Amino acid sequence: MAGGGELGGGQKQRRGKAGKRKAKKRLGFRLDMTPLVDITFLLLTFFMLTTSMITPQTMEMSVPPEIDTPIEVKQSELLTIRIRQDGMVFYNTGVDAPQRFAAPSRSKNGSADYKKTLAEIKKVVVDQNVALKNRCIVVLKADGEAPYGLVVQVLDELNSAESEIIDRLKREHGINERKRKFTVSPYVAKDAEELMGL
Amino acid sequence: MSKIKKKRLGFVLDMTPLVDITFLLLTFFMFTAKFKSDAENQQKFEIKRPQTQSDTAKIPEKDLVMIKIAVDTVAKDTAFYLSMVAEQDIAELRSRMKEGGFPEVDEKSIVYKIKDTVWLGKAIFYCRDANRNAVFAIDADRRLKYRWVEQAMNELRKKKATTFNFVTEKKNGGL
Repeated sequence: MAGGGELGGGQKQRRGKAGKRKAKKRLGFRLDMTPLVDITFLLLTFFMLTTSMITPQTMEMSVPPEIDTPIEVKQSELLTIRIRQDGMVFYNTGVDAPQRFAAPSRSKNGSADYKKTLAEIKKVVVDQNVALKNRCIVVLKADGEAPYGLVVQVLDELNSAESEIIDRLKREHGINERKRKFTVSPYVAKDAEELMGL
Repeated sequence: MSKIKKKRLGFVLDMTPLVDITFLLLTFFMFTAKFKSDAENQQKFEIKRPQTQSDTAKIPEKDLVMIKIAVDTVAKDTAFYLSMVAEQDIAELRSRMKEGGFPEVDEKSIVYKIKDTVWLGKAIFYCRDANRNAVFAIDADRRLKYRWVEQAMNELRKKKATTFNFVTEKKNGGL
């Protein structure tokens, strides 16, 4: 492009017209592309620097509609995961005493790292679901003061546990369908009381 | 001095491939670039989204109602910021909010800063009224207290919008 294009056509005709004068043969023409290239690079740099490639993702949530009649479930089929206001996560089955998941570690930049906690949550949820053969109900309760980011991370972990549960149910019990998932329910004063000092 | 060196006058480098590639990249970036919408232009906060694993879906563009929850950097207060995406929806919602008597609504309102759950509930109702296929998305800062999100979820539930989305960010480098 910087070398320029050639004007090929039109030369023969001219030669025929102006027969007397010997036309100087045009070899080609040069167009200075420098400004064009400059501007192009400028724009390219601008767009490259301003575009953010990370598009936001979404996590779909379904909550049950408001109903007046409470549904009764067996205590033994209930796995409650509770997030305390300081970000500690606890779990218990039925009316058992709550047990604590691993505490978050501090990462280099000072923010809490829940990697270990989340891995433990997933393990417990999967094991319990498989042990109860599809009849387990996972309930997530989070304190209003707990960070929202942690709640979403736990929800994400529960979501990702699903595939493992389905897989293990199929392999170990031959169950092909998955019925119950998990629910989110409000964290009440009683929950706070139970987790106090643990 | 044995030989007079022929003076080199300059050299020509074929720039064609370079320019071709540059144009190609330019076109690519121009088409993929997404500019801030009017709603995003008005906001005075930055949202750090919660991080999740990669198996999440892309955000639906059409019929979207965005509920942002963030702390204003100027006023230092937490509030719900509700906005719709489609041009028609924006107009519909505006007229409904006006009729409903929402304070601070004018001809240019796109984002509604809502501080209490009563108005949030009303606004959600108006959105559903304006567009029957409205899809709700909650975009909240991960450092925020869960209470705010819980309130928004409760309001959505009360208005029978039982399926909604949390806007998240892909976690880099796996788990």
